[in-house]
Amino acid sequence: MLSRLVGSEALGGMVRLTLESPGWPGAKPGQFALVQAVSSRHFLGRALSIADERGDEVDFLVAPIGDGTRELCALAEGSEVWVLGPLGNGFDLESIGDGSGRVVLVGGGTGIAPFPLLLSHLSAPLEVLVLLGFRDAEQASGAEPLRRTVTRLQKEGSRCTLEVIIEEGSSKAAGKVTDLVERQLHPGDRLAVCGPEAMAREVWRLCLKTGNVEAWFSLEANMACGVGSCHGCVVAIADGSYARVCHEGPVFAGKEVFGG
Amino acid sequence: MGPLRLKHPLINAAGTLDLFALAEATDPCVLREPSVAAYVPKTVTLAPRVGNPPPRILETPEGMINAIGLPSEGLEVFVAAELGRLLSLPRPLILSIAGFSLAEYVALASGLRQALDQAMGQEWTTRVGLELNISCPNVHSGCVSIGSDPKETEEVVGAVREFWPGLLVAKLTPNVADIAAIGRAAERAGADAVAAVNTFKGLVLDRVSLRPYLGNISGGLSGPAIKPLALRAVYELYEKVSVPIVGMGGVATVQDILEFMACGARVVAVGSAGLRDQSLAGTLALGLGSWLDERGSSLAELVGLAHASA
Repeated sequence: MLSRLVGSEALGGMVRLTLESPGWPGAKPGQFALVQAVSSRHFLGRALSIADERGDEVDFLVAPIGDGTRELCALAEGSEVWVLGPLGNGFDLESIGDGSGRVVLVGGGTGIAPFPLLLSHLSAPLEVLVLLGFRDAEQASGAEPLRRTVTRLQKEGSRCTLEVIIEEGSSKAAGKVTDLVERQLHPGDRLAVCGPEAMAREVWRLCLKTGNVEAWFSLEANMACGVGSCHGCVVAIADGSYARVCHEGPVFAGKEVFGG
Repeated sequence: MGPLRLKHPLINAAGTLDLFALAEATDPCVLREPSVAAYVPKTVTLAPRVGNPPPRILETPEGMINAIGLPSEGLEVFVAAELGRLLSLPRPLILSIAGFSLAEYVALASGLRQALDQAMGQEWTTRVGLELNISCPNVHSGCVSIGSDPKETEEVVGAVREFWPGLLVAKLTPNVADIAAIGRAAERAGADAVAAVNTFKGLVLDRVSLRPYLGNISGGLSGPAIKPLALRAVYELYEKVSVPIVGMGGVATVQDILEFMACGARVVAVGSAGLRDQSLAGTLALGLGSWLDERGSSLAELVGLAHASA
């Protein structure tokens, strides 16, 4: 749908884009959209996780890591943008938030993108722990909107806590988000994970080690069509086959993608 | 085209449009009113294939490169689980097949014919055609090696012709010295049409590691970047073959369709540009209709216009 950029906010080396998409049908947490400026000099749209939504307004958190994402991050407010979405299968809220265990969100870098929308769907009386890892202090400032959401939920009486860890630096507290996971994880937890593949694999290893932990992973891939037509965005999954991130994913159960 | 009646000259290139996945992801309407005049589903192989390891695609300047590698559920599952719902679509079908030997092409064609005979009696030839993919650049035996050789092309098309009474299209690779020679071979062997072009073999590197980016090392280039190359192929085919040509390669605008038709294409397929706008074929068909109306011109006048002496 033809949309308009109504907000572009720099956030810790990332940019939060807000698009006004008339008729936006509402997304499930973990779904994505293909986004492309009408004036784009690129051939394909970019697949971006839906970070949050307010009626027709949709937020995306974008890291300017390639030509296409840099173009999106540099768009002037008021620019016209094509949005195809929401697409794909989001987090399985019924399983994650069935109340049988604590919910732990694990995000690395731009992997925090889907969490504001996910948090807003995980209502009290659930206990929610948000563990985030960033490269450096600058990138960590990208977690600010999420921090605000957590504070709001706490005020509303939710048992929601946030911990952030930073990789670079000399302080004893420096480390990776997987360090936090290792310290915090206990049997019965339900995880929603989004971040680099190495992080995701390590998180799943820790889940298996802890036992009685279920986890769902939001994966990323270059996409062309975003709707399952081209089979370009596949990832290898545990049974040896390939699954389309756009169609079977982008959220997969840990056992399905990593096995064990 | 052949026994198929198309309501407009725009179809899709195989592997770029999955109407059922699209309906699931966006709007079920696309099944009732597909934008294409005939639907070309993804290429089917005889045995199941998982396709190439990722990464499989990368955007390139004015286009993209892919090495999908013909993932397919295989003929048996295709016939049992896919063919029925394909036949329920309100459009003619052009089924695409790829084999790794002459025998596989024959087995695919005869298997499909048998299934269609059972499902529809003899009526199906006005509804279903067959495209021989002898041009996929991303598999390592058969297929494109057959389509790179006039003699092998003639043998495969001739062998399938004996088993296939409906529309038979040979989809050609541009990665040859003389595409018209391959087109002539397909025509001699009884092809009702030739489709040109499949993708151009190419290579992209990872920007940082400077090693091949795609899981398959090489891939096939498509998109507006290849349009002049594809137009040249269609132009040369038109000079040497008399069967209809399905033109494709970088089609994204009404102007592109006019140019492919002027070079000799009677039908035009939308490929990669359809990936970012899966209703593009319908939009372009309307645009083409308006263009013809405004000029009081017809498709018959347009096709081959580039070859007319000034």
